[in-house]
Amino acid sequence: MTYLLGWSVIPQIVVRRERWPGGYKTRGTALVYPGQEVQPDQPVIHLYKAEAVPVVDTASRLALPSVSTPGRSDPGLAPPNGNAGNGRPGDTVPAGLSGRVVDITRRGGVVIESRVVAIEGVVGAGNQVAGMLTMWQAGAISIPPGAILVVPGPLNFMMLRQAVNSGIAGIVASSIASRDLEGFLQTDLVNLLDSVDVDLAQAHLPPLTLLLTEGLGTIAMPARTVNLLSRYQGSIALLAGATSVRQGIFPELLISLPAREVQRSWQPVQPELALGIGALVRICGGEYEGLTGEIDHLFAHQQRFRSGMRDRAARLRLEDGSRAIVPLTLLERIG
Amino acid sequence: MQTLPSVEGGPAPASSQNPAVINSILVADCGTVFTKVSLFGLVEGQYRLMARGEAPTTSAPPDGDIAKGIIQAIEVIEFITGRRFASHGHIISPEGPDGNGIDLFITTISAGGPLRLAVLGAVSPALEELVYQAVSGLYAEVHALAAPSYVATSLSSTAVGNTPSPASSGPGTWTPERVALEWERQMEQMRELQPHAALIVGMADGPAGPNPLQEACQLLLNAKKDLEEKGSRDASFRFPVLYAAAPQYVEAVRGMLGNNAEVNRVDSLISQAQLGPTSVAISSIYTHEVIQRVPGYATMQPWFSSQPVATTTSLSSLVRFLAQHYAMNVTAVDVGGSSTAVMFAGEQGEFMPMVQSGLGIGPNMGAILQQVGFQRIARWLPFDITEEELREYMLNRMLHPHVTPSTVRELHIVQAFAREAIILTLDEGRRHGFEWPEADLIMATGGVFAHAPRYGQAALMLLDAIQPRGVTSLVLDRTMLISQLGAVATVAPVAAVQVNENDAVTHRLGTCVIPFGALQPGEVALRVGIEYRNGRQVSVDVMTGSIEVIPLRANEQALLTLYPAPTVDVGLGPGERARAAEEIDGGLVGLIIDARGRPLVLPGDNRERQARLLQWMQVMGA
Repeated sequence: MTYLLGWSVIPQIVVRRERWPGGYKTRGTALVYPGQEVQPDQPVIHLYKAEAVPVVDTASRLALPSVSTPGRSDPGLAPPNGNAGNGRPGDTVPAGLSGRVVDITRRGGVVIESRVVAIEGVVGAGNQVAGMLTMWQAGAISIPPGAILVVPGPLNFMMLRQAVNSGIAGIVASSIASRDLEGFLQTDLVNLLDSVDVDLAQAHLPPLTLLLTEGLGTIAMPARTVNLLSRYQGSIALLAGATSVRQGIFPELLISLPAREVQRSWQPVQPELALGIGALVRICGGEYEGLTGEIDHLFAHQQRFRSGMRDRAARLRLEDGSRAIVPLTLLERIG
Repeated sequence: MQTLPSVEGGPAPASSQNPAVINSILVADCGTVFTKVSLFGLVEGQYRLMARGEAPTTSAPPDGDIAKGIIQAIEVIEFITGRRFASHGHIISPEGPDGNGIDLFITTISAGGPLRLAVLGAVSPALEELVYQAVSGLYAEVHALAAPSYVATSLSSTAVGNTPSPASSGPGTWTPERVALEWERQMEQMRELQPHAALIVGMADGPAGPNPLQEACQLLLNAKKDLEEKGSRDASFRFPVLYAAAPQYVEAVRGMLGNNAEVNRVDSLISQAQLGPTSVAISSIYTHEVIQRVPGYATMQPWFSSQPVATTTSLSSLVRFLAQHYAMNVTAVDVGGSSTAVMFAGEQGEFMPMVQSGLGIGPNMGAILQQVGFQRIARWLPFDITEEELREYMLNRMLHPHVTPSTVRELHIVQAFAREAIILTLDEGRRHGFEWPEADLIMATGGVFAHAPRYGQAALMLLDAIQPRGVTSLVLDRTMLISQLGAVATVAPVAAVQVNENDAVTHRLGTCVIPFGALQPGEVALRVGIEYRNGRQVSVDVMTGSIEVIPLRANEQALLTLYPAPTVDVGLGPGERARAAEEIDGGLVGLIIDARGRPLVLPGDNRERQARLLQWMQVMGA
């Protein structure tokens, strides 16, 4: 298993991310400048409608007869996916991260460098949103609108509809059945995963950003991920759901580390990718799915598995002391 | 039958930098999902495959460097051979007296995805078809966008482009508002497509005159602005544009686009005569815009003994070589993670390549299901499955394409998708005028074939998908070499020929007899007479609807006589008896008699269909 940052969960790392709430016909004016320190709730962008695209006549200076296409007006901006303060023209957009502004992009996005906890999902949907991280609890009376809700288990269609009605900005959950996800998004996931223009692909989705840590199906969220998210309950987090296999874009949740955790001796974690002996790993598929263990042997030659296929493999010592032989492609390094 | 040009323009002379004696060659094939590296070396004066290694392709983050995957695959070879070929992330070259290092390093690449090509200007359906033919052997996605003024004046009732638009598909008057609507739609499509390059076509001799050229330029200017604003490209980026339109306007178009584009003129595309230059020019753009932009390309550059070529280009070279060398009709099938290719090369020089860049059994698996639907995938499965289970497996595989199927059920699903990918590719060829001839030899390459746990599975996939007729031979490229040997041939032709004969096409699955015509259910379709070298004779009656495998092992030969039923044909006409003039070869599966009929029709009843599939698999050892 591979993740853009190396591991699916990284407790401390420095990232640079463009704060951009999506909306391909939207442009922004930065309210901050490079070098400035920002806080997660600080407005950093003011959004406005994009200029009309030049009409055909603008090329008439170039020696060919002008085309008789009439000038056209911009059909207007479809409200981009997002919530209040997260994407509509006229809104201001909060930073979502604490850190230093390092660049302003042409469309008006603000690039922020921040020390964060990073969680990468397998699949997701929706534009980048910022909100307060809130753990889901059965029987909870109210969830603040604009929150990013953490559901430490599988989602279903009804939960998603309720979340939209509650004005929640985003959900981080473990998994969902593909039928429920496609039903909610009202789109073919194949098209979404194969999208070239990711902004455009998100434009017509419901206003709820999703990140699924384990993907499609009914898989539980690993305890270490739940524990980590619980620890940062109440923090403002930045959630991006866009997923495009073609473009190599995957969803991620970033939580800026509080000042008390960023001491002078603070060092980012450098995710080690190699699956060597002693590596702590998690099994991400097959009969041992979800179990964690330590690699105690790497086979020099390919091993045969139940499908009859041969693959390079490792022997793991699982947490309960038992051993399992697993293809390397099913292993996710977690430490 | 059409004959298409080759994009590499014939074998190139060996590089002047090559050492006089080439002792060792490393060949890397960087696929979308896996990178395969092979080591060729001299053994008793002959080039042989000495070892091969495989590792996940690392062009995407977190590595973001395709060279890392190559080095990891090389490390597997180092483990096997005990020699060293890389040090500190770089290739050691040339080979030293201690056997470490290599003399040549050659690369083929399919990672990086297809070239997205926008076809602009006065794009008539005929021109659009010509462009499809020009790119049929390349990793390219063509999106035709006929200029609004051309649509308005010439094609008011004909839709052009991949998706008919509300603006262009309906009859009626083209008001200025309707033209403007079409213009808006096209800008949206360009935004969605984010093309790597554009091809401008049309002779400006229609009612719209040169206006379509002007509109093409404006679309490109807008697209470039869009890419810059997104940060996808910086302001210095110049759009690669091939100009194959009216020659008198080329300078005007250059002027319009100014510094925003690099306009290269090729012969105006008006007939099949210009397909060659157009195809070569598009291939060159693919090299610059896709291959050379693969993350890590710069790291590899000092290693190259020749410029990397597209894997499909390399494969097409080899297929044509084999057809001419052995004077036979050859079909090659390559099912990859992101693309599927079927190529036919005839002994008379015919060549028909069809590459479907968006169809594969990895990240592009979803496109197969979208095109054929659930039932067509499920028909190949010998068990019940719900659409939801199939879809979920497919989506998860798109997200994790390198994960090995862990159960037999998953393996069957992947193989079912592979069958449909081949069928779709053949159908696409037919849509563009290819009449696929029967082949004497069918070669299969790609991970789904090479890693199939049983040879019978590979053979059955080929028979189900290609549905050959008459007599043919099936060969499995277990070492996944054939798509690399074309590239090797441009630098070290002797090595390519020797490795091909010694190691690449050695997994002969068997000779296959496929009777066709009016096969009568419940009756004998064919009587097969076999005379082994030891004099033993066997006669087998093959019933309609069945497959029989007659033992004839690899390296065994036998004389074959076929007695078809009166309405059944084995290639010489209905009822005509056939006796092979020469002995036929055996194979890893055996002599296969496929009397299921052509076209292959699976039983409509689920239980009966599954029982038949299981029966056929059992017979084939699948």
